[in-house]
Formats: sequence, C-alpha cells, structure tokens
Amino acid sequence: MLQELKDTVKKILEEKKADIVIGWKKGTLPGIATPLFMEYPEDVGELIFDHTCRNNLTSYLTKDKRKLSKDHAKVGVIVKGCDARSVVLYAVENQVKRENVFIIGVHCEGMYEKKKLRAAAEGKEIFSVKSSGNIVTIKGRDLEKSVPEKEVLSDSCIYCRYPDAREYDVFIGEPRKEVDVPEEFSSVNEFEKKTAEERWEYITEEYSKCIRCYACRNVCPSCYCNECFVDQNNPQWIGKTPETTDSIIFHLIRNIHIAGRCVDCGSCVTACPVEIDLRIMNKKVEKEIRERFGYTAGLDINEKPAMATFCEHEKQDFIMS
Amino acid sequence: MLKVKKDKINGLIGEFLKDYLVFAPVKDGSRSKFKKITDPAEISTGTVKSERSPKDVFFPQSEVLFEYDTNGVRISDNEEKPYLLWGVRNCDTKSIRMLDKVFGNAHQAPDKDMYKDPYWKKKYDTSVIFNFACTAPLSTCFCNWFGGGPFDETGSDVFVVETDGDLILKGVSEKGKALLEKLSVTIEAEKKDEELAETAKKKAEEMMSKPTDISNLFEKLSTVWNEPVWQKLAAKCVNCGACAFICPTCHCFDVSDEGKNGRGKRVRLWDSCMFPIFTMEASGHNPRGNSTQRVKQRVMHKFNYFMENYGSHLCTGCGRCIVVCPVNFDIREVIKGILDHKIKEKVQADV
Repeated sequence: MLQELKDTVKKILEEKKADIVIGWKKGTLPGIATPLFMEYPEDVGELIFDHTCRNNLTSYLTKDKRKLSKDHAKVGVIVKGCDARSVVLYAVENQVKRENVFIIGVHCEGMYEKKKLRAAAEGKEIFSVKSSGNIVTIKGRDLEKSVPEKEVLSDSCIYCRYPDAREYDVFIGEPRKEVDVPEEFSSVNEFEKKTAEERWEYITEEYSKCIRCYACRNVCPSCYCNECFVDQNNPQWIGKTPETTDSIIFHLIRNIHIAGRCVDCGSCVTACPVEIDLRIMNKKVEKEIRERFGYTAGLDINEKPAMATFCEHEKQDFIMS
Repeated sequence: MLKVKKDKINGLIGEFLKDYLVFAPVKDGSRSKFKKITDPAEISTGTVKSERSPKDVFFPQSEVLFEYDTNGVRISDNEEKPYLLWGVRNCDTKSIRMLDKVFGNAHQAPDKDMYKDPYWKKKYDTSVIFNFACTAPLSTCFCNWFGGGPFDETGSDVFVVETDGDLILKGVSEKGKALLEKLSVTIEAEKKDEELAETAKKKAEEMMSKPTDISNLFEKLSTVWNEPVWQKLAAKCVNCGACAFICPTCHCFDVSDEGKNGRGKRVRLWDSCMFPIFTMEASGHNPRGNSTQRVKQRVMHKFNYFMENYGSHLCTGCGRCIVVCPVNFDIREVIKGILDHKIKEKVQADV
C-alpha cells in the first residue's frame, strides 16, 4: 500500500495536480510520525503511512492565516477518514475551496495514542513500537512487552464510524463505508450517569492541569480563527493565568465553539502535554448536536452546518424550562 | 564525601523541612512536577526527569506583583523560609543558574548595571539546590551537546549520587558545604561508595548518544538570517506554547492588570514568542506576523542572542520540548539543519 501511495503522490507532483503534498515521515521518537511537506517528486522517499500518523494534516490548510493555501494554488493532503471530514468542514465554512485541495485518501486502521503507549510501558522510556497483526510490541529500557492493539489505539479510533475518507480525489485501495459503532458514545453515556457535582468535579480536575500552552487549539483543524478570543486584549475576555477558573473558561468556550464542527480526530488529546481528558466534553457536545439536529460534522459538503441553520421542528425545550 | 543510608533519607528531609520550604518532584496525575512538600512520602521516586521543569519554583507561571485599591498599593511581603530544591537534575540546575543571569544580576558585565528582580531574588538568593546525578538518562537527553553530562555537578550546591538506595553527598558550593556540616544523619562515605558512584557515572555516560559539535552554531546563526532554511525548518511548527512552557530556560513574560471597581492586581505571566500576540503592537502591526518569523526568534534567542548577551546558549539539552511537541519539532534536528545549511554564493540578481 505504501508503494502505491508513494507512486500516487509522485505522479500528482509530476503532473502538477498539486504544488505541494502534505504527508507523514518517521519522527525522531518511537510511535510518533512527523509532518512531511513534499514539493518535488523525489521528496516522496521519506513518506510513510502507519499507526503513528496521528496528526490531522489538514489543519495546515488554515494555520498561520492560511499561508499554505495562499502560497500554493493547489495543496495535496493525505487523509484518514477524520482528516477528510476536516476538508469538508473547511469547504462548508468557506475557509478553503474544495477544488483547491487535492485529497488523497488512505485506508486507516487506527492510530496509536502517545498517552496509552506510555501507560502500557509503565512509565519506562520507549525505544521502539512494532505491530504485527493485532499485537503491539513495545521495547524500552528494561522493557519488552506485547499488548493487544486495542489497548494503545486512540479512543477516537476505537469508536470511529468513518475510518476512510468519503470525500477524496484519489483513494489508495478500496474505501470502507460507514462502520457501525454502537458504543460510539460509551464514554459520554458513562459520564452522564454521574451526578452534576461529580461531573463538575471531574472536568474541574482535568482542566485544572492546563498550562495554557494552547497546543490543543493550535493542532485542532476546527480552530482556525484569525484571532482567537484568548488572544484578544481589548477587551480582554478571559484571564490569562493557569488558575482553574481561567483555564476552564478557555476550554468550555472552545468546546462550544467547535460544537457541530469537531470531527473527533483526536489531535488535541495527543497534543496536550499534561494529558488532560479533552475528548469527553467534545464528544458530549457532538452527541448533543447529533441528537438535537441530526447533524454530524464533515460528512456532506452540501449540508449547512448545524449552528448556521434553524428549523422550526428543532427541539426547543431549553427555552421552555 | 558524606553518605546517608536509605533508611535515614526521610529523616534528613524531615530535618530540612524545619528550616526550609522543600520543593521536590511530585506526581501530578500521570506527570510529575516540582511542588512544595510537607512530607517526604510525597516525593515521586524513580522519576528520571520531572515532566514539568522546576523553573516555576522561582518564576511561577503567574505571580502577583502587587495588589491595589483606592487606599493604595500593597506588595505581599510574607516572610518565608529559604527554599531547598531536592532531586534536581543538572540540566535544570544549570537552567536555574541561567535564569539568575536574567533576573538576578548574576551576569556581571562591565559598564552594565543589570536589572535585579526583587521577586526572583527574594526566593533565589537564599535557596539551596540538591542536584541529583542522572543514573539513567533518556534518549532525548542531549546535555552533552552543551558540555554537560549526567554526572556534571556544575551549578550544584550539593551534588548527590544514588547508589543502591543510599545517597552519597558532596558539597559543591560554599553554601552547600556549610549546610552539609550541620547535618546529623550523615556518615563518612567509604571508598566502596565512591567506587559505586564512579561505576554509575561510567554507565550513565555510556548511555548518552554522541554529541553534535555546536561550536559553530552561534556564528552560523549570525549568517543565516535571510536564508530560506527557516521556512523549511519551521513549516511543521503549529505555534503553540508547549515547548516554551515546558522549557526550563524560556523566561519571557507578559504583565496583565486584572481589576475592576477600584481594586485589582498586577500579575506577571509566562508568555511565549510562539504566540501571535507576543509582538502585536498597538497600531495593529505585528513585526513577527508569521510562523516562520516566530520559530526563527525562538531559535535565535536560544542559540544566538542569549550567547551574545549572557555568554551561553539558552538551552541545557533537557529534551522536554522534544517529548511534548505535538508535531515532533525536534530542536536537535533544527540545530543540525542550521549547521548543515549551505549558504549559496551571492549571485548577481537578474534585473
């Protein structure tokens, strides 16, 4: 599959179907790939695709005031199912023109989660991560351990309904259709069973770890504002300290801001240097949007976003109560 | 050299707790950071290097400089015991000494009356650092690029080697030596202990990978300002502040006034050159408006400007930024990329 991917990207660059293609190459740490920007056919040599290609590369289309999209007439990007949904989101929200992106879909078997690898290694330093079948072998200092793949796969991948791109210009292999995942919202369902106090205690504790580095926001494909509300200082909307009261406002506003826009790519979870459970609230909001408006982000390029439409039949119980 | 038997270590820390505020690596969820302890049991043992650096002991992420209301200004002036830092690795010890050049006037330059930060000095000047040797450095450790090593004792007040759970102590600074003399739980280290320490040192040094020669880095950086290499190196950086906030030497800050209805406080907060607002001017112009410019600033500050101003690189090779970066922006690769970059001969531009 990798050879086919390399040949495809090479051809795209040779035929100038895209001026630049973003993919992944091996990173300097085990279990983590790093973004690769390919401009010339020979650049494909370093290209990889495996369980370590965690980053949602489509975020580069809108980062840095859309510099990449402005510098190049057409940008190619290699996408997993979640990443492809981000491109659809950009098109729906008029951030990037669909015809200016060359989407290369790859068959995704799920990505490993840094945090889970570390937990599996019992805190010891990891030197290599190899997978064979459904078994992952982690080698490290005074460590050699094999675990079932599910133990180290990201939650976003375990409960993923759309592992393969639905929107693409070329797909390597045969894309799967929607996968039935009855337990998609299992973590949210468990969370909802708690009392309001317990829920508040949980998210307060999680968000109190925040150091306000904004790694979650900056890797998030859906966070592309030219100026984030936390960066505005006239007026200043929120305090900049790492105190829980300030951090929680940042996170909750971000939650609301990506309501109906989060594609659950899991980038924020991996990016967080202090391992905050960022997924629970995002997933909760995703569930609300699905139940209230029947909308899932990034599936249909012609559908209006949930937060940009109003229908009379929508539930309005929040007004009545 | 002195020795503390393993069953006496908690007693030793207990003694310190009477006279000092003791800071040590403590588990915080799945990660560890330096925190004030009240009981030796809180210390996270087996931590190779705390995920959060100890810089916030002296330079907290947010620090109230003063509070005010209609009656005037108040500077909090709590009489505190001196600080004792326990379990600091040498990369972090050196980082703290570097920060003292910036905040504490430790860098004596001729004809320069350097700024002395009272908030820093109050905590720093009376502090004692127990620097623990690294017996098992990580693969991301690159202190040897900067002339350091797992058993480097430079900057320590007391240098500590753990051997089979016992501690071998060596007073390095005058302050450290004086403190060791006062202790009651120590015994003289035997030759055997010193041999154990020597063996551990050899083993640790063998675990370090070969250093890259960075003796030209400062000069090279002075020549590459307009080179295209920056775009290439910076392409993947997403401009978050994870590296800067986790870094033991990054020390840029912002000052924020938080107040309303006639009362409030002025707070000093960590800031990062990665953030767009860092250099935003009141006119709306931003001299470092794009990602490449900001990455260049971070690299230049660490390996060029700081050298020029304070005589060392602003990096000790702790490797934390490599571990936390969400896109694997590896500072070692960046340094190599700069050193390997060949500046093209200037050709006559086409008119």
